[in-house]
Amino acid sequence: MTMDMSRYLGLFISEATEHLEALGRDLVALEREATAATVDSMFRHAHSVKGMASSMGFESIAMLAHRVEDLVDAVRQDRKLLDRDLVDLLLSAADTLTAQVRAVAASREPDAAAPLLEQLSARVRTLTGHAPAATRVAQVTVLKPGDPPAAGAGDPGAPADAAGTPGVAAGAPTADAGGSAGSSAGGSGSDSRADRAAPGLQATSGVDGGPVSTALAVMPPASLMPPRDLSSPEALYGAPGARPRTDLPVEADPASSVAALGANLKVLASVDTDAPPSAPRWSVRLRISPTCQVPGVRAFLVHKRLSTLGTLVDLRPPLEELKAGRIPDGFIQVELDTNVGEAGIQTALRNVAEVEVVSVSQAVPEPPILAVTAQALDSARASADASSRTVRVRTELLDYFLDTVGELMLATARLREVGKVMPEVSRPALEEGVYRLHTLVKDLHDKVMSARMTPLSLITDRLPRAARDLARRKEREVELVITGAEIELDRAILDELADPLLHLLRNCIDHGLEAPEERLAAKKSVRGRVLVTVRRARDRVIIDIEDDGRGMDPAKLKASALKRGLITEEAAARMADRDAFLLSCLPGVSTAKDITDISGRGVGMDAVKRVVESVGGTLEIESERGRGTCFTLRLPLTVAVVHLLLVQVGEEVFGLPIAKVVGATEADPEALSRSRETALLPHGNGLLPVHLLEVLLGVPASPRPGFRPFVVMEGDAGTGKVALAVDRLLGQEEVVLKPLSRPLDLLPGLSGVTILGSGRPVFILDVPRLLTA
Amino acid sequence: MAKRVLVVDDAIFMRNMIKDIFASGGFEVVGEAANGLEAVEKFKELKPDLTTMDIVMPFKSGIEATREIIKADSSAVVIMCSALGQESLVMEAIEAGASDFIVKPFRAEDVLAVVKKVLGEA
Repeated sequence: MTMDMSRYLGLFISEATEHLEALGRDLVALEREATAATVDSMFRHAHSVKGMASSMGFESIAMLAHRVEDLVDAVRQDRKLLDRDLVDLLLSAADTLTAQVRAVAASREPDAAAPLLEQLSARVRTLTGHAPAATRVAQVTVLKPGDPPAAGAGDPGAPADAAGTPGVAAGAPTADAGGSAGSSAGGSGSDSRADRAAPGLQATSGVDGGPVSTALAVMPPASLMPPRDLSSPEALYGAPGARPRTDLPVEADPASSVAALGANLKVLASVDTDAPPSAPRWSVRLRISPTCQVPGVRAFLVHKRLSTLGTLVDLRPPLEELKAGRIPDGFIQVELDTNVGEAGIQTALRNVAEVEVVSVSQAVPEPPILAVTAQALDSARASADASSRTVRVRTELLDYFLDTVGELMLATARLREVGKVMPEVSRPALEEGVYRLHTLVKDLHDKVMSARMTPLSLITDRLPRAARDLARRKEREVELVITGAEIELDRAILDELADPLLHLLRNCIDHGLEAPEERLAAKKSVRGRVLVTVRRARDRVIIDIEDDGRGMDPAKLKASALKRGLITEEAAARMADRDAFLLSCLPGVSTAKDITDISGRGVGMDAVKRVVESVGGTLEIESERGRGTCFTLRLPLTVAVVHLLLVQVGEEVFGLPIAKVVGATEADPEALSRSRETALLPHGNGLLPVHLLEVLLGVPASPRPGFRPFVVMEGDAGTGKVALAVDRLLGQEEVVLKPLSRPLDLLPGLSGVTILGSGRPVFILDVPRLLTA
Repeated sequence: MAKRVLVVDDAIFMRNMIKDIFASGGFEVVGEAANGLEAVEKFKELKPDLTTMDIVMPFKSGIEATREIIKADSSAVVIMCSALGQESLVMEAIEAGASDFIVKPFRAEDVLAVVKKVLGEA
């Protein structure tokens, strides 16, 4: 019977992806400082991916994850094994695993990645001294029948293939008892019984696969056994607690196990006993089910159960062999001094799965049969189930919720407007209802928003890896410090920010940080530093990306922009340094002498600025020559609600994002001074170029003489601040922003739309783009 | 009355799978925990008939959690969820008091067979 695994696929993809991302993070962290906690965490991630993939039947993923687990486990034993090459290898394994999971997500067969697998296996061999174990994979129905599973891998009943594991020499390390008188006496006794037991083994060897139904071989009574002194178990074991631990891989080659049997029959006694030496002796014969996957553990469990009943005087195969799974045909023979009687022995084993009690016989006559306590299960249980639960929700669903709540808010505002024109008598009831609705919707909106909040670590977690790769490629040393990544932002903003952040990091490492020799000459440490600092300031999140590199040269930036005709000489002359730095965000302006394949040339910065502004944020650049550069992103917590200044030109109403509004003033356009064609508005200590909104938008407006309002707005690097002439300032409003759909989104200068309470749609203007369009 | 089960695993994927297996076998999954710490808390709170316990988990391993659960209730039935290669860890868990174990990747019938056996239902 196979399980239908397809319903777990989504969960597999999301959870495996998370584990792999975390694995990559750990790897980068590990290279800096190999702490035990990081190695343990990596092991968990690899182990989880292996477990999930094998359950899903994704063999290639499970195998790769298994090798990673092997290697990390080796590092866990000895952290000195970790070197840069191993980190590289593990990183590429993590990348390949991620790609494989993506392939599965796209309903494709994941790449088998045979060369990488071979590399990893080779590394496992060199690090651990033995070949990696085979990976077991479930046969499930979710898969398209692709490659047939490798031999032994798909068969649930197949034993672990320990190919290459050197068979542990028979008779080797069970020797705790070795040399003692008790051991040698027991040795001869068990040898003779082993000979007699042999026919029994032969008789059952053909029954492999079926459960053993009856007693096949009743063992000779243990009265034949020589008496031995058990008063001092320590004499047999050495100090208590010095019992050997086996970490040997499962060795399941029956042939070698049988060979080992004859050579290594040892008597082991259990230390943990409280039975008096006078307790009657029982001979118990058991068989571990042939379908048992880990017979060693199963046998150990049996041993443990029986040990609690009394004194174990004989165990064959000996404990070390049992634990290693070397149990010929699954048969175990136990001699036990106990007062619990046959019923007690049967009871102790009754609840152990995959074990058949072949026979229980008394070795000494007249055992007093005592009552045994069965495993007590408390039946009176508390019925309360107060477990708190979390669910995973797809991001699209959250988007839908938000969108719908936005519509609800708009509809509520519309209702309120309608209420205003209702007859006086019916107004209070309606207004009360609308008020109640408004409160509920607002509350719902807050809840939906909080569900969308996601820690910034979602995207900053990728930076260390990127920094490492960049630094290695540029042969530079970089220390990346990220703080405040736990601060939360709307998921929609986060998604947009991933690339800009990466680009800014690249800029810092590629252009900001100097080459090591240059840094040394400037009396800086060879290792460059990039700080990514996230903090919260009221309703904004501020991200600083700061390097301690060479800094930007405002004069060069101005010269470059001038040369390309992007600014006038006049503008360049009065441009402040911090505005000059923003020139790097204009297409084509960059002072980097060399074009590298890493960050290109000025291409990305304009995209960075555009994206940051499209989510309602701003970008600032501070730089000091020789000291470094700091990019500052100021972001709203959420995109969905924006504060607008509503303005009117002619009959039309437009929204201007308050974040970009510097101030408002009134002036008579006719009285303004002019430079060439452009009117100039005095503002602060300077003059701002004036633009008439009706002209920019092509809206018919009735020219009115005299004073009219101006809105002073932030422009971009090329334009600086500008003054927009409008007809009326209508006031501020908090609105739900809706994205534009085709073809409106293609119009430059519009960043979104909203609907006012009156039902009137209002476009939100992107002034810098409007000016350059 | 259906036996009450607590499922402990750090992967939601595994928890869901195990839950479905138990549901198909007529058990009632009364709680879940994602790490050893939570497991001990949930155990004390829910007193389940049976607890399935992953071994490799953050904060507190399944072995440590098993040890604490057995300390709190020596008759607690804890089934370890293991994988090939974890033999020595499972043995450690058995020393700590685990009743039995199941091996990943799980097959529903194997899991139910072990569980029913351990609970004395088979």
